[in-house]
Amino acid sequence: MTMSAILTVFKKEMVDHLRDGRSILVSMIYPLMGPLLLGLMFLFVGGGMRVTDSGPLVVPIVHRDSAPDLVRFLENEGATMQDLFGDARGQVLGGRAAFAVILPERPDVTSESPLAVRLITNPSRVDSMVATARVVELLNAYQRLKLGDKLRAAGLSPDIIRVIDIQQENIGKAAGPAVILLTMIPPFLIFTLFTGGVHVALDTTSGERERGSFEPLMMNPVWRYEVLTGKLGATIVFTLMALASQVVAFWVMLHVVPTESLGLISPPGALRLALVVSVCLPLVVLAAATQLLISAVTRSMKEAQTYLGLLPLIPGLAGMVLALAPVRAQPLLAAIPTFGQTLLMGQLVRNEAVSAVFIGITAVATLTATALLLLLGFRIYEREEILFPQ
Amino acid sequence: MIEVRGLAKSFGDLRVVQDVSFVANDGEITGLIGPNGAGKTTIFRLICTVLRSDRGTTVIDGIDSRKDPLAVRRRLGVLPDIRALYTRLTAREHLRYFGALHGIARDELEGRIAELVATLRMEDFIDRRAKGFSRGQQMKVALGRALVHQPHNVMLDEPTNGLDVATSRAVRDLLRRLRAEGRCILLTSHIMQEVAALADRIVILAGGRVVLQGAPGELRRATGLFDLEEIFMAATQEAATEPVLAAGE
Repeated sequence: MTMSAILTVFKKEMVDHLRDGRSILVSMIYPLMGPLLLGLMFLFVGGGMRVTDSGPLVVPIVHRDSAPDLVRFLENEGATMQDLFGDARGQVLGGRAAFAVILPERPDVTSESPLAVRLITNPSRVDSMVATARVVELLNAYQRLKLGDKLRAAGLSPDIIRVIDIQQENIGKAAGPAVILLTMIPPFLIFTLFTGGVHVALDTTSGERERGSFEPLMMNPVWRYEVLTGKLGATIVFTLMALASQVVAFWVMLHVVPTESLGLISPPGALRLALVVSVCLPLVVLAAATQLLISAVTRSMKEAQTYLGLLPLIPGLAGMVLALAPVRAQPLLAAIPTFGQTLLMGQLVRNEAVSAVFIGITAVATLTATALLLLLGFRIYEREEILFPQ
Repeated sequence: MIEVRGLAKSFGDLRVVQDVSFVANDGEITGLIGPNGAGKTTIFRLICTVLRSDRGTTVIDGIDSRKDPLAVRRRLGVLPDIRALYTRLTAREHLRYFGALHGIARDELEGRIAELVATLRMEDFIDRRAKGFSRGQQMKVALGRALVHQPHNVMLDEPTNGLDVATSRAVRDLLRRLRAEGRCILLTSHIMQEVAALADRIVILAGGRVVLQGAPGELRRATGLFDLEEIFMAATQEAATEPVLAAGE
């Protein structure tokens, strides 16, 4: 009878909520917002990177005739000079120029003092980061070249002024900002896990109590934990639907947005995203159990809505912090539900190696926390007053 | 048969039901009447085991509700005062849901639903979703889900509340038919004429206590009054009532 009662409640809640526009909106439409937003960010930010990294470097320059040798060097390195007129600072600030190289109007060619080159940059614009880095690199290369010439003219080796030999290998190319954007996927997923089934959880518990239908339901020959388990099952399915729709939307986004604009070697594929979903599975149950518990301890649907609206912010904030200040995946962190999954999902979407032990600890810790929450929830639902509108 | 033995229930310091005992026999309609706050709904909830008593017990067809609450629920069909339907389910889906919760096999359940549709005249709306149902339609669905498992004992809280004359009459006819089938029927109502017309036994409550009970003739002899409304007023005014409120009343 137990499984039969659970399945009966589960099937009823599924039919009921598949007909409910709000449940569908929350679990199927809202999750698409994250991929849409991230896709737009990739397009705008990535678009800027594409022009500046793989395309020709355009150097906005003032008084180019003041340093023909430097200009020749830059052109030989593939840069294209673009004369800049008017307010150079204003143009950089407004984003019309990625940066500005300002040469003196009348350089003192007789003096031994170095050529004054003013470089106007704007680090707050992500789309100018790569171009600025490239021009700085070229200017430094010109400096090293000219210094070497002078030392050789003086009969000295250019190595005399070198203490260390830096050999930088930039394997990420322009992927830095793109990786930051990719790291935002886990917080979006965590947010969806805690919102996808929330309307079902609320409506089947607080809502049912408020409408007075909990009482006739519990007059049937079923235990309360059976009824709750059926409702939990429906909440889990709606959360899974939300997760699936968001993961599919992320996959589509990552493959629709031009790869070069991502600045990535390769975006995470279907297998990686399937792994992301599997890592999330224990969290799906945890989220549903938490929602049922909050619905139980609150006196009305409105009160429950208030708390459940704030709930996703707690694990979501952890993910945001990790996106901006990455930490190393350690077993202790794996034991913190939502935090461990955020770390794992981050590794998966960045195509990094993941540890099976870490996955195991994360799953066991989350399921243990879920079991405790469910036990507490079942106990609370045994209270008499829980059946009646408060 | 429903036996209520020394039932008591408090909510905090509020004594809602105090030492209530009565019997509702098979093949009879027992009317449970009392002013607002007398404890009728609480007694209903105690009998159908959604509330637990502080003292005393209820015995349904010989089964003690404290020992086997699920067996008791199987033998009870309850029409609560709040009909509370699921607006996105059809009337038929309501009956299927409650029938399935009673463990009735699919084929048998469909047969019983067909019988109920005919008995309660639900043909016009059986496959319509409950949103927008009239009070009469809501009551029929709620009554249908209370009867779908063919319970031996039927409890109805204000069954004709808010219904039009024709639907009220249909409900009364149904109750007489159930009585004729030998079932035990316990009903509450504020309509004295209805109780007088239907009840074989009447239990009058006031302040959470039974102040008078018996067959209508016995009540008349005990009070010297003929009209049930007069009997009710006399019994409830005489009773030393305390200010009590039942959950949900």
